[in-house]
Amino acid sequence: MIKNTPGEKIFIAVNYVFMIFVMMMMLYPFWYLFMYSISDPKLSATGGLFLKPSGFSLASYSLVFNNVSFLSGFRVSFIVTIAGTLMAVFFTATTAYAISKKRLRGGTFFTFIFLFTMLFNGGIVPSYLLVKDLHLLDSLWALILPNMLGAWNILVMRTFFAGIPEELEEAAKIDGASTLRIFFSIILPLSKAVLATIGLFVAVFYWNDFFSTILYITDKNKWALQAVLRDIVNNASSAMQSQGVSIGYQQTVSENTVKMASIVVATLPILIVYPFIQKYFAKGAMIGSVKG
Amino acid sequence: MMKVKDLELKAASRPVGKAASGRLRWLVRDLKRDKALYLLLLPGLLLILVFKYIPMYGLVIAFKEYNIFSGVGASPWVGLLQFERLFRTPDFTKIFANTFIISFLKLAFGFPAAIVLSLLLNELRNMAFKRFTQTIVYLPHFISWVIFAGIITIFLNPVDGVVNFVLKAFGGQPINFLTEPSYFRPMLVVTDIYKEIGWGTIIYLAAMSGVDPHLYEAAIMDGANRFKQMWHITLPSIRPVIIILFILSLGNILEAGFMQIFLLYNPLVYDVADVIDTYVYRKGILESNYSLGAAAGIFKSVIALALIVLTNKIVKKTGNDGLW
Repeated sequence: MIKNTPGEKIFIAVNYVFMIFVMMMMLYPFWYLFMYSISDPKLSATGGLFLKPSGFSLASYSLVFNNVSFLSGFRVSFIVTIAGTLMAVFFTATTAYAISKKRLRGGTFFTFIFLFTMLFNGGIVPSYLLVKDLHLLDSLWALILPNMLGAWNILVMRTFFAGIPEELEEAAKIDGASTLRIFFSIILPLSKAVLATIGLFVAVFYWNDFFSTILYITDKNKWALQAVLRDIVNNASSAMQSQGVSIGYQQTVSENTVKMASIVVATLPILIVYPFIQKYFAKGAMIGSVKG
Repeated sequence: MMKVKDLELKAASRPVGKAASGRLRWLVRDLKRDKALYLLLLPGLLLILVFKYIPMYGLVIAFKEYNIFSGVGASPWVGLLQFERLFRTPDFTKIFANTFIISFLKLAFGFPAAIVLSLLLNELRNMAFKRFTQTIVYLPHFISWVIFAGIITIFLNPVDGVVNFVLKAFGGQPINFLTEPSYFRPMLVVTDIYKEIGWGTIIYLAAMSGVDPHLYEAAIMDGANRFKQMWHITLPSIRPVIIILFILSLGNILEAGFMQIFLLYNPLVYDVADVIDTYVYRKGILESNYSLGAAAGIFKSVIALALIVLTNKIVKKTGNDGLW
């Protein structure tokens, strides 16, 4: 290696400092939310919350965990995320595996059918009418089915499957394994990285999905978490009143601390899962994107 | 076995000649051989046909006077009436301009920002630090716009928000970014970059990691410093990726970020923030004006498609690889 010139040394140092600054910027909102949510509302309302919480109170959290609509939203999103992700990963995999086989007749045509949906779509109104005509309005299926398969996910998996050496499958075939057997007991176990990646993407989508609720669900008991959350953020005082929070109780919580606590609780599942799957998705996303 | 023979006989009895019958036989043989693959393909194909293609067919209501009771098929055709209505809406020019301006601003600032951040990340030689940084900058992408809108509202609050706290500390006047039309668009651009810049680096970094190390060695031999290496090797090497992502983002130019705007806007800033999608949602769904909403949707999709095709053509004319 040739030694770095003084100019390069300065650049390297500045680059590291800059990256640390960027990271702090990215993390600060989360820190801010957290410290606000555990602060004493009497102190936080006066402003000046900047780096550390002022006072300490968990009253907002107890309110969040006793908020009926928050809990119901949490439950709906949980069910939709788990069920939706399992089905989405499974069917994305089956579809992608089929079109990854060059010998499949019409494979190019089917790939085109999927690709085209990335360029053109029916949009909001026809999608709404379709769900309505299928009598799925106000059903959890409306939150799951329309967004279950995405062309991009299928293409990422197809690229991954196409990279698995053909010899593996041929060896299994000689041993008498059927196509389905090969898919389930050889291909899927080899594809954990891409399955985890796509699973994470889909799960995050379902967990964060807000639009499907406002489009398809009018029954508030079936609202997903993000819609409930928006209600709380926009309207914390009425949400608190409907929960029968007395004037006396409002001394220990404020609209803002309740908002913050709700946001923290809603974000937690992603923050918990993210570090575990993170190492997979960098790899998985790259596999899909580079070869496209 | 019977079936194949039947088909073969039928094919043979037709006067089409040997080629066609041969093709049919191959087809039947392939269908039989790969019936497991077709079985695996079927559910995915059905889901895509139902949930992506039927809505495309549903767009015909833009050329009809949609009636809920008669359904899509039986509603009467009205030609281009809905489009005329759309173009005559007093707000139409405004909505179209907003969509275009907001998207353009996001593209103009966000697109290069992601490339610059990728170049800087790529210069980090400490692998553990690099990976840690990447993990952190990807994170905001995974947080919902609902939560972000909540955070943004709190941060920009004119009374006790952090941003105005800092402004005041430096002797400035507090600004209400969310209700002040002149600040609303810059706010959209900045918060969008904040949320997506890290995610935008993934593909570039992948492309950069594929650059042949010999190129750098040769450049160092020739006395190139880091900046020159970046400029003459890294950037040209990822040019195909940049071009493809650019074409794709042009296709999204009329998206403008529906969720973000929908969650942050309010009647005070409609003039600068109302875009095609928010308009479609309000007119089409909330006011049940389905045909008009669909017409606005078509208008958007067709322009987007045209932009992709056009850019792809230009890119190929200039001697680069396009999307297809």
